[in-house]
Order: sequence, then C-alpha cells, then structure tokens
Amino acid sequence: MIQLFHVSKYYDRRLALSDITLEIEKGEFILLMGPSGAGKSTLLKLLIGAERPEEGQIFVQGRSLSKLRASEIPLLRRKVGVVLQDFRLLPKKTIFDNVSLPLLVQGASNGDIRRKVTEGLRAVGLDHKKDLFPPGLSTGEQQRICIARAIVNGPIVLLADEPTGNLDPELTSEIIELFKSINARGTTVIVATHDPNVLGQVNRRVITLDHGKVVSHEQVGS
Amino acid sequence: MRRLLYLLREALANVLTNRTTTMVAVATTAFTFACVGVFLLLYVNLRAMALSLEQDIQVIVYLQDDVTGQATAEIEQQLKVDPAIASSAFVSKEQALADFQVQFPTESHLLQGLGQNPLPASFVVTLAAESRSSERMQRWADRAQLIPGVGQVQYNQAWVEALAGIVKYIEVAAIIVGVILSVASVTIIANTIRLALYARREEIEILSLIGASTTFIRVPYLLEGAALGLLGSALSLVILKGGFELFRHEIRSASRFLGVDALLTFFPFEMCLLLMLVGLFLGCAGSFLSLLRFGEGRA
Repeated sequence: MIQLFHVSKYYDRRLALSDITLEIEKGEFILLMGPSGAGKSTLLKLLIGAERPEEGQIFVQGRSLSKLRASEIPLLRRKVGVVLQDFRLLPKKTIFDNVSLPLLVQGASNGDIRRKVTEGLRAVGLDHKKDLFPPGLSTGEQQRICIARAIVNGPIVLLADEPTGNLDPELTSEIIELFKSINARGTTVIVATHDPNVLGQVNRRVITLDHGKVVSHEQVGS
Repeated sequence: MRRLLYLLREALANVLTNRTTTMVAVATTAFTFACVGVFLLLYVNLRAMALSLEQDIQVIVYLQDDVTGQATAEIEQQLKVDPAIASSAFVSKEQALADFQVQFPTESHLLQGLGQNPLPASFVVTLAAESRSSERMQRWADRAQLIPGVGQVQYNQAWVEALAGIVKYIEVAAIIVGVILSVASVTIIANTIRLALYARREEIEILSLIGASTTFIRVPYLLEGAALGLLGSALSLVILKGGFELFRHEIRSASRFLGVDALLTFFPFEMCLLLMLVGLFLGCAGSFLSLLRFGEGRA
C-alpha cells in the first residue's frame, strides 16, 4: 500500500533521509524507532505530502506523491490520520467540534458527522466528554481525542509521531492498546517513537532509523 | 450547510478575537474612503453643475446690418433644418433695443445719442443636447459663422471651457487620490488579516493537516476582509453624508450663495451601493494579499 524507492531528503544540504526503500502492506503495524533526529518525523511528513523528497519516489495506494498537484494534497491527507506528540487540539472548540473537523472539511452531512464523531469518541472511551473543551482534559485524554480525530473519517493509514512523548508509562500502554485495536480493524498504523517502552508492547514490524538511514528492519513476534 | 455555518462562524470569531484591531481597521478604512468620497462628491456636483450650465447656454447668431428680409428667412430656414439645433428664436433689431432698455434702463440713454438703432438682429439658438459639449459648440459656431448674412456668433465659451476644465482636473485628482487611498485601504485590511492569520496559525496548520482544502482555509479570512471593507465604506458614507448636510446648512445660512444649496446633491442610492461594493472588493483584495504572503504551503 505504501512504497518508498530510494528516497532521500535534505534540509539545507543537511541529510535528513538517505536512500530509504520500504514497502508497507495494508493492515500492518509498523514501529519506526530511532533517536531524535534520526529522520522518523521527516519520513512521516513525506507520507502526508508536507515535504517532498529530493530523490526517489513514494507511492501511496499506487499513486506517486511526487506527481500530486498542490490541490490534490488535501485529498491524500483525508486518507491519512495523523496523531502528534503535542495533540494539536483547538482549545476554544468543544471535543465534539475538534473531532468533527476532518468530516467537516470533507463536507459530510450533519447526520454523518454526529454518528461518526460519536463512534470515534466511543472508540477512545471519551464519548461522555464531547461537550467539554480540551484544556479541561488530562494529557492522556487529550491524546485520545487526537486519536479519535485521526480515525473519525476512516483513514487507510494512521501515522503517529511520538504519540506517547508527553505521557507516563501507564498512559503510554493505554495509547498503544488503542493503536492495536485500531490496527485490528484493518487500518495500517505507523508509529514513530524513540520510547523503548513502546517496543516491548508491540509484537510487530520494527524499522529502526539512525542518521537518516534504515539501520535495522525486523519482525518482532507474530 | 454545516460547512457554511462553520466558515461564517470562523469569520465572526476572527472579527471578535481581534476586536480592537478590527475597529481600528474599520475606522481607518472609513477615513480613507471618506477622503476619496470628498473628491467624488465634488466631482459629482461640479459635473452636474456643468451639465446644467450647458443646458442653459444659448448661442447668439448676430446678423449683418445690411441683411435683407429674404436672406433672414433663408438663414431661419437653414437653422430650422439643422439637426444640431433644438430651437431657435428670431430677435429683430427693434426687439433687441427693447430688450436692452428693459435690462439696462439706466444705460439706455447711451443709445439715444446715436440716432439709429445700433443693435443687430439675431437668432437665439439652443443646441440639441448632444451638441452642447464645449468642442461641439465651438465647431457649430465656426460653421454658423460661414452662413452668408451672419455677422458674428457668440456664446459663453469661456465659461463652458473653464467649467469643463475644472471638472476634468477634479476627475483626474479623484482618480489619483482614489487609487492611492485604495492601496492604503487594501494595505490596512491586509495587515489586519495578517494579524488574524498569525493569531490562528496553529489552527490553520491543523486544518491543513486533516485535509482541508486551501479554499476552506481561506474563506473565513476572505469573508473577514470583505466585512471590514464593507463596514469601512458604509461608515465613510455616513461620515460623508453628515459632512455634506453640515456643508449644505452652512451654504444655506450664507445669503450670498442663495439658491446654490438646492443645486448640491449627495450620491444617489445606486452610487452608495457601488461604493460599498468597491469597499467589499478592496477588503477581499487585502485578505487575498495577506493569504498569499502567509504562504501557499500553510494557507
């Protein structure tokens, strides 16, 4: 479903990713490991069209991202859910409004928005907090809202960039369990993290990056 | 529907979030529009006066003293069939003398010493509406001068030309001032929108991340700019109307301008509407400029 062929990316001549070749199948759970600055976030940015590679090709569902016009990038992003370390929730909007945003920008009907937002919030166990505002929630809850927003429109792939970076070990386990259940429903999940606690909780494919290069590529568990 | 409501709500939220900046922008825009409006009002009123004067202007075709009755009839016939003429009236030598004595009773003794009537017979010609411009009047006068039996052709050329000149100058000044102040209004609105964009940059990034199209992101800011422009131009019309009424009242009080106040007119309703539309358009242009500067990648 996602293919990268000899992808390289530079920031002001500084190498961020070097000659990355990867193939990710539908329904996989990928852990992108590596220290800060290894190139994990850059790789995720390439997958949502926020950055373009200087070399190589990226295909998502058979479509080359380098051939996407600027007006087609929003369409790509509607198929990709994104979870970030700093949550990026709108503090002055209710939880319901925050989660409904991806549906709103697609022009979903009122009925669809109500139904899907309720489902999304139920999936993360926070449907009872839909009328509250983000500052009134704990960090773990805010991250779960962020996940609900990422999955509300049924993306084909969920990208998470350091999703547990601001969470304690207990909350980290909760979030990882949530990702596993989303993955179990058929969504491809790619989690970029440098948190070794996460590694122990996921028996899946682990790709380790360092200095912009893939240094190991292993299948953990079944 | 929900999407439209969202966009309108966001535009309103932008305005309310930056209340002070918005008020300053509307007031400054109103002031700049009012400056342009003063020139426009001057132009509209002087143009109306020029047109009204042109309506009143008559051309006097004086006949030579020795012209025969038959020649006079031929000239009259020639004037009657001329499409450039709306009407013409013959004034005989005797009538001219009688008119002079009525108009200048104290000076009428001046003519008595001359023995015979020195005043020539004439035709008082009113030109058709399309022939009343300064150039056309001059052309017609030159042509009439060549008619056999015609001595002299006169009209208030200096007046017409002077007024046409003033109107032209005001027109040019209004255009120059209009362009400069429109650019100023666009810049003021652009800066206000830029502040709103920076205040909400994180929200813009989130919208972009979840697949909002550029149009979806831009519309609230374009609406905000349009609202600022519209409010600014509406306020400027209120200021202008107030100033105009005050000026008219002053003119009415000063007795030497008797009757002039009745000639003064404010913008007609259609023009007010047009000015508000111009404000709206300039507001949109200001927003668009800011959105472009903010960066294609983000907005």
